[in-house]
Amino acid sequence: MAIEGMAAIGAAAAVSLTAIATAYTQAKIGAAGVGALAEDGDFGNILILTVIPETMVIFGLVVALIITGFI
Amino acid sequence: MKPLEMTKISITAPKNQLRPVVEGLYELQLMDIEDHEGDVIESGKPFEEAEQLSETIVDIRSLISKLPEQDKQSTQTKDIGQVQNKATELEERVENIQKKIDRLSNQSEKLDDRIKTLEKLKGIDLNYEDLSGTKNLGAVAGDLDTEKLNKECSEDDYKLFKGKKSKVAVYRKEKDVEEAVNSCVESRISLPELDYEGPIEGLIDKKKEEKQKVEDQIREKEDELENISREWRGSLVKAEEFLSQKVEKAEAPINFGTTENAFIAKGWIPSEKLDELKEKMCDITDGKIYIEEEEGENPPVKHDNPSIVQPFEPLTDLMSVPKYNEVDPSFIILLTFPALFGFMIGDAGYGLTSLLVFAAGYKFLPSAQKIFQSLMYASIFTIIFGLAFGDAFGYVIFGPKHNALYALTGLEFLKEIPILFHRAEHLGQVLPVAVGFGVFHINMGYLVGFYNEYTNHGFIEAFLEKGSWVMLEISALAAYLYGAVVGAPLGLISLALLYKGEGIEGIVEIPSLIANILSYLRVFGVSIAAVALAKVVNGLAAPAFNSGTALGLAAGTAILIFGHTFNTFIKILEGFLQGIRLHYVEMFGKFYEGGGKKYAPFGATSN
Repeated sequence: MAIEGMAAIGAAAAVSLTAIATAYTQAKIGAAGVGALAEDGDFGNILILTVIPETMVIFGLVVALIITGFI
Repeated sequence: MKPLEMTKISITAPKNQLRPVVEGLYELQLMDIEDHEGDVIESGKPFEEAEQLSETIVDIRSLISKLPEQDKQSTQTKDIGQVQNKATELEERVENIQKKIDRLSNQSEKLDDRIKTLEKLKGIDLNYEDLSGTKNLGAVAGDLDTEKLNKECSEDDYKLFKGKKSKVAVYRKEKDVEEAVNSCVESRISLPELDYEGPIEGLIDKKKEEKQKVEDQIREKEDELENISREWRGSLVKAEEFLSQKVEKAEAPINFGTTENAFIAKGWIPSEKLDELKEKMCDITDGKIYIEEEEGENPPVKHDNPSIVQPFEPLTDLMSVPKYNEVDPSFIILLTFPALFGFMIGDAGYGLTSLLVFAAGYKFLPSAQKIFQSLMYASIFTIIFGLAFGDAFGYVIFGPKHNALYALTGLEFLKEIPILFHRAEHLGQVLPVAVGFGVFHINMGYLVGFYNEYTNHGFIEAFLEKGSWVMLEISALAAYLYGAVVGAPLGLISLALLYKGEGIEGIVEIPSLIANILSYLRVFGVSIAAVALAKVVNGLAAPAFNSGTALGLAAGTAILIFGHTFNTFIKILEGFLQGIRLHYVEMFGKFYEGGGKKYAPFGATSN
């Protein structure tokens, strides 16, 4: 298999695995956040906590872009 | 840019002026009354009518909740006194009807159960009373294993009756026969005890009739409730509003301090309204009042923005109400949020459809009007960027290449209209725009933070805490452009400043600056997704259109309408969430504290 093919698979793995990780974490935080919101929590703070794991998939995206030679 | 300036005042007056003062303040809707604190002066008591009013209001509220909602209201509304007098009586009446309905529903459910049981016995040629057996004969109804029964008992000992869904075995009441029969029962139908003699079919009809009667009764009662609702509901809702206001007024003195002959109320009003309040209150009380300005902490926060910024205030409050002494970031959201949303979606077609969605929201959800207004700004930017990219619903409409609109209409000038760049093909150009915007956005955050620190703690503090970050960025840039010789010393200085300004926390936070800037890559991600999603829908519809038949045309149109409607909502969701998140987390994180107390003047809640 050509090296480009391997790179493409690597890029796909970088995005998809980090996406799964983000989804898993976000689901947990989100569920707890909804609970807190129902108890009259501060929407802003909960939103911030919920979006923290998104950093992972963004880094995954960066890695994928680098592997594919985009940046 | 900052919240409205507030002044704390204390109002002192003799006790006989209590009522006029409360009425006056309620009408003015200016004063955010603070709770009375301190032991020297006692807290006031509510007006004597408060308790009774509260009771009536509870009655009325429970009545409203029990009465079905009405489209058609009785045109003649009752006056408040009438409602107040009738409330208890009505409550009783409605309660009674409700109880009857509950009882009847119960009955109807029970009958339903019976009918279901009896229907299982349908087709069995026996009288109901036979099923409970006689002195010499036993009977069992249910699922029976007939083959086993055949083996276990002799034919003389029992007789089988078959129905559609079950069987009944009638047998000689002898111990061994009974045991044998019972061992063949797979599931038994337990028969309700009924005072009835005759065929089963007749019984079912009879029960159904009974149920019909009960249902009719329920309907009758519901009609009665409906009638009461038609006559009273509108008036009750009005009375509830009116009485709520009265209760609010009656309970206001709880927050005042009182002595034997005088009372004192403290609270905040917008500074610019101070004179107006003084004048009005003096008028009301014939000058028997003393209003004094005071020093106070934690003033409530009221946004003070020009009308163009106002729709963005709820977006700020959604995060957190700003503190009194910090910049109200609503204007920053106005500056960058619509543009960011527009850039990410960047499609004239979706700009239009989302504008329609938001306009509908603006019209039909009055409580969220401001947010929809702010989103309409975002839609307009989407249209602008869409035109700049030459995209509409994923089709290229301007520019010389792949011009779908030109292909359709053959109008030459469409090719002449220049576009910024073609997003689907030049993703590389979206990337630097996204990161560049991120750097700009984050530094804007530092600048606002600098201003906040500068006004509250002075220049040096501001420079140490916020300026050091900007300097750090500059040193990184210098290291990139001119090599480490320039960059490293500059970097070290800024690190030292940062350490002095924010302590070790600041140093630990440095990697998060990189993460924050990289986070703006989501703008790039959402942009690709926006173009790709639109193209997917068009791609799905293309074969249908190419088939050339009428059916193909219809199917293609259906795919386009469904797909693009779906996409519109997906894009609104993505554009809004990602756009607002970049503000809340990446940018606000650089300066925003929040946690202010919202200005809630006495009397304003009634509107």
